[in-house]
Amino acid sequence: MKLLEFEAKDVFAREGIRIPKGVVVRKGEGLPPHLEEIGDRVVVKAQVDVGGRGKAGGVLMADAGNAGEAVQHLFGATIKGVPVNSVLIEERLPIEHEYYVSIAIDRSKKEPVILFADTGGVNIEETAKTNPDAIRTVAVSPLFADVPAFLLRELTGTAPAGVRDAVNRLYRVFCKNDALLAEINPLVTTPNGIYAADAKLIIDDNSLARQGIAVNRDLTEREKEAEKHGFSYVELEGEIGVIGNGAGLTMATLDLIDHFRGRAANFLDVGGGADQERVKHAVRLVAGMPSVRVIIVNLLGGITRCDEVARGIIEAGVSQEVIVRLAGTNEEEGRRLLAEKGYRMLGSMDETVRAAVEATA
Amino acid sequence: MIYGDKNSGTIVWGATGRQGSFHINLMNEYARSVGGRGVVAGVTPGKGGQEVCGVPVYTSAKEALAEQDAETAVIFVPAGAAGDAIMEAAHAGLDLAVAITEHIPVHDAMRAIAYAEICGCAVIGPNCPGLLSPGEQKLGIMPAHLATRGHVGVISRSGTLTYEVVDELTRAGIGQSTIVGIGGDPVIGQTFADVLAQFEEDPETEAVVLIGEVGGNLEEEGVRSTDLPIVSYIAGVTAPPNKRMGHAGAIIEGGEGDARSKIERLKTLGVPVASRPSEIPGMLRDLL
Repeated sequence: MKLLEFEAKDVFAREGIRIPKGVVVRKGEGLPPHLEEIGDRVVVKAQVDVGGRGKAGGVLMADAGNAGEAVQHLFGATIKGVPVNSVLIEERLPIEHEYYVSIAIDRSKKEPVILFADTGGVNIEETAKTNPDAIRTVAVSPLFADVPAFLLRELTGTAPAGVRDAVNRLYRVFCKNDALLAEINPLVTTPNGIYAADAKLIIDDNSLARQGIAVNRDLTEREKEAEKHGFSYVELEGEIGVIGNGAGLTMATLDLIDHFRGRAANFLDVGGGADQERVKHAVRLVAGMPSVRVIIVNLLGGITRCDEVARGIIEAGVSQEVIVRLAGTNEEEGRRLLAEKGYRMLGSMDETVRAAVEATA
Repeated sequence: MIYGDKNSGTIVWGATGRQGSFHINLMNEYARSVGGRGVVAGVTPGKGGQEVCGVPVYTSAKEALAEQDAETAVIFVPAGAAGDAIMEAAHAGLDLAVAITEHIPVHDAMRAIAYAEICGCAVIGPNCPGLLSPGEQKLGIMPAHLATRGHVGVISRSGTLTYEVVDELTRAGIGQSTIVGIGGDPVIGQTFADVLAQFEEDPETEAVVLIGEVGGNLEEEGVRSTDLPIVSYIAGVTAPPNKRMGHAGAIIEGGEGDARSKIERLKTLGVPVASRPSEIPGMLRDLL
């Protein structure tokens, strides 16, 4: 889940990274008193989860005196289609130099990788394309609690020592918060020290609970409903509902529907070890989409047991035809249960998908 | 055989749980049918002294290994504790840890895999179905009746898609040497390249089916690392783009990871890529 800028900055500050003085204003709230304590010159930033927010008009310059107008302007605006529900009013920093630092996970190295550039700011993506050598990277063993000093020196080159310290603190943020991405762009030097002028933090969805985050805001309402049952779910625009187990098999089912010139209505992976209850909820969730005319259940039991799947399908009792393909653990029992109720069961994925496409033709 | 044979003894972490006990039973049924050793012990902290399907359960790996000989671990522990279980297995001196558990926090997986590497323990998974060498050993949850002994290795990031492909191969009369599900998580232990290196050393394996999906570029890395004949299938051509990781992710991965560009690169490297699983047996025959 992606945190908003002010939430990420709170986390950074707890790890000792300096952040600009600022205050969050939520829609419907009045302006806080004593804005002048933040500074004479302020910047007002829409707290929306979109990239390129500055270029899209989500960041405004103001004085302490007219900050209210900038705030009202942003509350009335949408930034790349996203309405603004909160803004951050911050002191405008006397910036001397901007750096770029981000930490992500490299799948091949299986380690956190830190990226650093001597020039930060809004054009970093352009720099990555036109001058990739300007971005230095180091991989850090995940067994280290801190970045070794020699790696910090290699990474930051001639940047001041305070920059190295900030990079190391960001690494601690990354590890302690189960982050997939931690980024400061720009990391700025000022006469008063080094600051994170912006902040980005994405938390691993598998770690939200232990990070004390109750709700994954990145999901739509239907996705939240699906998540409650442990499904991975994406809505599409066709007529064939798809329930599979395993992302690969479910994706392959969508690819095969496309191959036979049908249109899938959704992607729903029930996950490993789906029991009767979960299968029932999956079938009902997909059947609840008005566009769905036929449902494919394509389940190969490993950790999932086919008899439980069969009971779930039968218990769901939906009005659309459910075409079933079951194989694997406890397959005989599953097929027997479904046969008793007259469900259409086909032996292969090709046959199953072809039958569903014909049913919607 | 790769990663052990019928003489390998296995310790199961999470033996007393629903999945653990269910699959100990299936693994041992398989071991009996091939004359193998199978699961010799379970480990569940705080539940030492119990028995699951005739297998003694211990509180720690140390206690289990004091009484039982074992080389491999299979892990069914819930996500929050699974990283710890991998490390305990590695620390105890086991050679291989197969982590079935899904939803392990990626930082836990990274640390556990790095620590296991130091201990000389290979990790398969997490979020994987394990491995099956037909006629020799079954570690994990693969439905063994779909497989048949032969000369084609199978490596896959997706559990159920593996079963699909194995089923197609078996029905086409093509047997398998070893089937390895390496797992679908962003960070996994044994990669395509690692398993392909094992297959190269394996006299029984003549060709490999490599099953990939969207995300990362491990498939291409694997193909570049080997001379074995390979047929590939990549799932996710029509899947909507995954939620992006933010632009730092895109910088690291260089825009790689979508199925179409992955398929193009594999073809450029001379690997035939099936457009659906049922094409794989025919393409394998053409190759051999």
